[in-house]
Amino acid sequence: MSGFKPLDPLLHSQLRLAVVSLLLGVESAEFTFIKEKTGATAGNLSVQLDKLSEAKYIEVEKAFKGKKPVTTCKITKTGVEAFEAYVNALKGYIE
Amino acid sequence: MTEKNLSEKESLALISSMISQAKSNYQKGGSFYFLLWGWVVMVANLTHYYLDAYTDYPHPYYVWAVTIPAGIFSAIYGIRQKRKALVVSHLDKLYGQVWMSIGVALIIILMFMNKLGYNHNAVIILLAAIGTFVSGSMLKFNPLKIGGMLLALSSVICFNVSITDQYLVGGIGIFAGYLIPGYLLKGKEK
Repeated sequence: MSGFKPLDPLLHSQLRLAVVSLLLGVESAEFTFIKEKTGATAGNLSVQLDKLSEAKYIEVEKAFKGKKPVTTCKITKTGVEAFEAYVNALKGYIE
Repeated sequence: MTEKNLSEKESLALISSMISQAKSNYQKGGSFYFLLWGWVVMVANLTHYYLDAYTDYPHPYYVWAVTIPAGIFSAIYGIRQKRKALVVSHLDKLYGQVWMSIGVALIIILMFMNKLGYNHNAVIILLAAIGTFVSGSMLKFNPLKIGGMLLALSSVICFNVSITDQYLVGGIGIFAGYLIPGYLLKGKEK
């Protein structure tokens, strides 16, 4: 059963996996963009982004555009590596 | 989106749907730069040519001062677009970096135009040819690729005519290879 590696619990969650997959395809994305594409509620998304950020999978930058606060997210190298490992582990389950 | 246990297949489906969501987003407004710089550089080229060929005006190159306000305007527009964008794709970034590196190359060429025997116009058009062709390839927009080829052809012609005539060739080349594809791109963006 060597093909069965444990799936990263941080990524094996619907919303967090969606966020990481989305960020993988772009340079950076704003909170509102991620919220729209994932269909998540702002509160839940905030919590999940914090978890990903604590694990250094993503970088969260808070800034102001004029008077409006904006949160911009970006995937990190750690995040990409974790995602690759997750997909590889997933392959083990499917094969 | 609610939290629930994912099956492996659900995980894969989610990943591929999110990746395709990200794929279809790239910033619009690329035509603005083509139109702005197309007009500015074309008019400057043709005015320089006219002053040099048909008048005794001693400083025809003064006309290039028009690129300074255009540069400022272009930068302001770029910053505003960046602020408006909710997402920056890899392509957006690459697009910006291609033109930024061309801008740097352009400044270097202008610094050493005496060493190029004042054939800098031919080299600058060649740089524009690369940028336009690569932009066309990134945006999957063939008129820009054709424009890039026309600019490369203009550069070849420039290398074979007098320095004064290079401004005429440059003006026509920018019109055909840069401004027209720019308008076609604008039409597509709507």
